[in-house]
Amino acid sequence: MNGATTVSLVGVGGQGILLGAAVLAATAAAAGLEVKASEVKGMAQRGGSVLSTVRFGEHVWSPLSRSADVVIATELLEGVRALDMLARGGTLVCAATTRIPPGSVLRGEEAYPDDLEERAAAQRVRLIALDAEGLARQAGSVRSVNIVLLGAASHVLPFSDEQWQAGLAAAVPARVLEVNQRAFALGRDAVQEVGS
Amino acid sequence: MERSLFLSGNEAIAHGAARAGVGLVCGYPGTPSTEIVETAAGLEGLRAQWSVNEKVALETAVGASLAGVRSLVTMKHVGLNVAADPFMTLSLTGVNAGLVVVSADDPGMHSSQNEQDNRHYARFAKVPMLEPSDSQEAYDFVAEAFALSEEFDTPVLLRTTTRLSHGRGLVVPRVPVRAPRREYERDISKYVMVPQYARQRNRLVLERLERLRRRAEESPLNVLEAGSADFGIIASGVAYAYAREAFPRAWFLKLGMSHPLPYAKVVRLYEHVQRVAVVEELDPFLEEQVRALGLPVVGKAAIPADGELDPDVVFRALAPYLQRKPPRRRRPVLPPAPKLSSPPQPPAGLPVRPPVLCPGCSHRSVYAALRRHRLTPMGDIGCYTLGALPPLLALDSCLCMGASVGMMAGFNAVLGRKAAVAVIGDSTFFHSGVTPLIDAHYNGVEGLVVVLDNRTTAMTGHQGHPGTGVRPDGSVGNAVDIQRLCEGIGVRCATVSADDYAALDAALAREVAAPGLGVLVATAPCVLASRRRAGAVVVDTERCNLCGRCLDLGCPALVPGDGAVAVTEACTGCGLCVEVCRRGALRLPEPVPADGGGQP
Repeated sequence: MNGATTVSLVGVGGQGILLGAAVLAATAAAAGLEVKASEVKGMAQRGGSVLSTVRFGEHVWSPLSRSADVVIATELLEGVRALDMLARGGTLVCAATTRIPPGSVLRGEEAYPDDLEERAAAQRVRLIALDAEGLARQAGSVRSVNIVLLGAASHVLPFSDEQWQAGLAAAVPARVLEVNQRAFALGRDAVQEVGS
Repeated sequence: MERSLFLSGNEAIAHGAARAGVGLVCGYPGTPSTEIVETAAGLEGLRAQWSVNEKVALETAVGASLAGVRSLVTMKHVGLNVAADPFMTLSLTGVNAGLVVVSADDPGMHSSQNEQDNRHYARFAKVPMLEPSDSQEAYDFVAEAFALSEEFDTPVLLRTTTRLSHGRGLVVPRVPVRAPRREYERDISKYVMVPQYARQRNRLVLERLERLRRRAEESPLNVLEAGSADFGIIASGVAYAYAREAFPRAWFLKLGMSHPLPYAKVVRLYEHVQRVAVVEELDPFLEEQVRALGLPVVGKAAIPADGELDPDVVFRALAPYLQRKPPRRRRPVLPPAPKLSSPPQPPAGLPVRPPVLCPGCSHRSVYAALRRHRLTPMGDIGCYTLGALPPLLALDSCLCMGASVGMMAGFNAVLGRKAAVAVIGDSTFFHSGVTPLIDAHYNGVEGLVVVLDNRTTAMTGHQGHPGTGVRPDGSVGNAVDIQRLCEGIGVRCATVSADDYAALDAALAREVAAPGLGVLVATAPCVLASRRRAGAVVVDTERCNLCGRCLDLGCPALVPGDGAVAVTEACTGCGLCVEVCRRGALRLPEPVPADGGGQP
């Protein structure tokens, strides 16, 4: 669609989706692009599925798009759920080890999906799956999964390291900036190491 | 045959309500609506009461409707602004027994601060509207409105104006309508308007509007009256009477059911005449809809858009048009029924993830205690509305901010006992829970209001409110004490810690059993805001037999494991599951040492 790039961040309420979106938007702004974003708040944040969309480019009209070029998922089930919104040839960057089963799964009424790779392949989507939770712990806080994934996604997003650093500094609270800078670097390097 | 009565429109509506088997008439006084409640108070077989305001009046009527009793609520035009919050969402939930809202408009502002045309509310809320044009119709249309309300599962707007409400005419009484009490059936997806259920109901509303339009086409309330002149008039309400007097030879499309507009009937009028006028007071409500059909019409270009009409004004306004050449006829275009959205289908086979009450949420203990009593819990709006979802299923209704208390009062008033309780959050209580409490006290209604006092406005992200005194900048101003506020009203009130399940359970049992009206404030800070954690509950896998009592609490930290429940790391150690377990299979963790040892 008219040159704007759409990145959707999905996860479970409380996982820092909104902060991840804020960092991405700030990074795009630092790159001198126009940015629009939209998020659903309120009732959705109480442990429900959360979606935040960031769109950037030379010119962006709509804050919303049904189809995303890149999806960043902080939870595995939400990543699988988001496959449908990816454009063909798009990329899913997914926290492959983070599983937060919803109530229906806990009660044994529904099954948690275990076929992310097959589904991604069937959908002709590029999959970048990583142990974001482990890397976040390594960075110093399990809460930085969102930023680890941004680091991993940086390989498919058109921003320089300088621009990412500017985005992080602009959006992340100063007291946790260092942890998140480490998280970003770990996520970025993890993908290079697996050669994706 | 019974002798005819000489009644004002308002008196006729009250008598019509009694005839239609209405059990509750309530409203707030406001010219020109006041005499409906006053007259109803003198009639047999129904309860008439003044409400503290129009919003509470409507919520009270909704409670009565749910309890299975027909209810009529009255207000002047601006009163519907006050009642607009429940009115708009009541369109989505629909009713149990019929519910009719009388809006008495005041063209000319004889006794009002503005001249708003409340016919727009019928369109706005997508509900049917009836407009009587004399006292007999005012009497007759009440029963028609209730029949529509129950058939189409919708509130009905009965719109009058000053000259209808305060004009008088002869009324022939009719045979009473039998309206037996309808059983109340719990229906969470119909009456609890959380987003996922409201989206479904909203589609039903749009479909209902098209069915109502077909009814308006067939309804004998909408009459095409033949004339002898090449001139047709579309009119409703008292404007019809003016136009009829001014142009006795004209054709008429008289709209008794003026929303939704019967398009085909409008087109049929144009088959008989070349010139058509819409005669209506205030806004071009009908005129714009006729124009949208592509039909030439004379309306507000000739007839004043402000003030009252009368036969002379109508005649002078329209007479010149009868001398002119008729407008060129065009083919009308009937608007198609609107398309409904096709929401994205979630991928098949994937578990849904609805929002849930947090682990350790203090509301859960209130719901656990509440469900030991066979009561209908009227809910309200906040995080605690999530308690209506499985597995808790703890609330029967959620209409709008503050509606729980008035709905409880209406439900209990017509049943004459404490059948319903209200469950309302602290911030919502300040928003609009206080006025219905005053109302219930004034009207001597049985009831219990449970205030879920988690010391914040949690759902929207922990904002301050008058109960905490916390302001947006973090400073703390004056705080209002809920218990003292209730006691100041004259209502019995007790406060109990929501963390102390035994005390909470006992206090609730005491309040349920006590006569009259009471408030129980169950207080404990929001677990999310306070970040309270006491470590995870420990399971004795030998004793646990997976009976499910703890799992029914809907706590995300409790999982059915292999032969015993398992506790996830999301557990905050609130201990509610320990309280409900009957086998002693769960116990609280050892207290965390005061010198730290927890997470920094």
